[in-house]
Amino acid sequence: MQNALLIGLSRQMTLERQMDVIANNVANANTNGFKADHSLFEEYLNSNAREDNFIGSDRRVSYVQDRGTFRDVGQGPMEPTKNPLDMAISGNAFFAVQANGAERYTRDGKFTLSSTGQLVTSDGNLVLGTGGPITFQPTDHDINIAPDGTITVLEGTAKTDSIRGKIRMVSFDDPAKLAKLGANLYSAGSATQQADAKSTVQQGYIEKSNVNAVGEMSRMVEVMRSYTAIANLLQQQSDLHKSAIEKLADVPA
Amino acid sequence: MQALHTAATGMAAQELNVQVISNNIANLRTTGFKKQTAAFQDLIYEHVRRVGAQASDQGTIVPVGVDIGGGVKTVGTPRSMTQGTLSQTGNDLDLAISGEGFFKILMPDGTYQYTRDGTFQMDNQGRVVTAQGNPVQPTITIPNNASGLTVNEQGQVSVTLPGSSTSTIQGQIGLTRFINKAGLQPVGSNQFTETPSSGPPQDGTANAEGYGKITQGSLEQANVDVVSEMSDLIAAQRAYEMNAKVISAADQMMQSTTALFR
Repeated sequence: MQNALLIGLSRQMTLERQMDVIANNVANANTNGFKADHSLFEEYLNSNAREDNFIGSDRRVSYVQDRGTFRDVGQGPMEPTKNPLDMAISGNAFFAVQANGAERYTRDGKFTLSSTGQLVTSDGNLVLGTGGPITFQPTDHDINIAPDGTITVLEGTAKTDSIRGKIRMVSFDDPAKLAKLGANLYSAGSATQQADAKSTVQQGYIEKSNVNAVGEMSRMVEVMRSYTAIANLLQQQSDLHKSAIEKLADVPA
Repeated sequence: MQALHTAATGMAAQELNVQVISNNIANLRTTGFKKQTAAFQDLIYEHVRRVGAQASDQGTIVPVGVDIGGGVKTVGTPRSMTQGTLSQTGNDLDLAISGEGFFKILMPDGTYQYTRDGTFQMDNQGRVVTAQGNPVQPTITIPNNASGLTVNEQGQVSVTLPGSSTSTIQGQIGLTRFINKAGLQPVGSNQFTETPSSGPPQDGTANAEGYGKITQGSLEQANVDVVSEMSDLIAAQRAYEMNAKVISAADQMMQSTTALFR
């Protein structure tokens, strides 16, 4: 009798978490380089308590639990910004940045220069090139970034390009293993990285969030309806109990 | 119900996004205006189920954890310092910069401010000043009986004095660069001040060493692109509405639970 209640409850708990994941996706609909998360569910079998009063073996009861959040690593739309220091990666690679002394990865290519001329993220974290941080000279102008990440500038009155470094692009054997840290950063976790020569840098573009608004809204309605349906089910269960108790306890005089 | 708070951060972020976009649109016709964009980041994640935890009584190990994000935060409103288009006005003292650099303006309190707005005039002493009456640096004085004012690409100001057939150079308007011009602080009146993030000002000569050239009789328009602002506005508005929908959905879910206690 209580099983329906518990199964319903296990489903409601997962739905609530799925709603949280959807809310986070929707909140980040305009976050540069954001990758959407989706919930995965699985059946969770558990024996109920032995019932000696019934003949036959225990039946197993299916609960539900969330198995994990699966990340959609698909490419987000590219928005042209015309800013010479805005970069987007087309391909699977990530930018490597140095945050709090550790190496982190991001798809958010909204970069700027620090007061000392180093290439930094919006948070002021150093963007790493193949040879460490990338530094510009005070008189550099006409910054050009090649698809392979090579940065060339014209310095002062020079007529020929000077190379300032090369954007380091890193890809992973399994991007799903990357852990989201917030602030558009990922840590490598247990994934192994390698230099990525297949991905290209697009200068003057920003990769927007890959959240699919229509999909999120329809999932949200689905979650909400399932949740309220279970709430109704629990209500009916409770009414059933109530009437059972009333009827059974109704001792004729 | 975490979703409620998550969606609230989303609404706050989009509200700011609309503010930034509306400021850009409001300054569509402001000389030398540089547009801003709102930049967002995801908030910290709660790891509800760690990777490698026991997934079931079958002894399965979780291959990916359950990560619940807490929403979005605004990280800044970076200014896009791209070149605006030049429009011809024909006024002698309308100057536009094509390329790097700012005009340096001396403020009454002795500090300097920087601008791309080259709408200059002459004050009663003959100095070349901004619309607020602050002289452009180095200070240039035009004799009141002079004619034929020209400013060349290097910023040299020359005039023809009465009784002379050749022009004389009265001075040279300088330009100032910053290593991180996006780090300048806007102070209104189309002017900026230096900040720790912009780096120190580097004074130099126009049309040399990577400094931009000066064009007389033109003004630099705002670098706001109406079409992209409008599409950003639509995106921001829809994102705001979607976050509001998430709040009402979360609300209905909670309501269905509280309805159980009749």
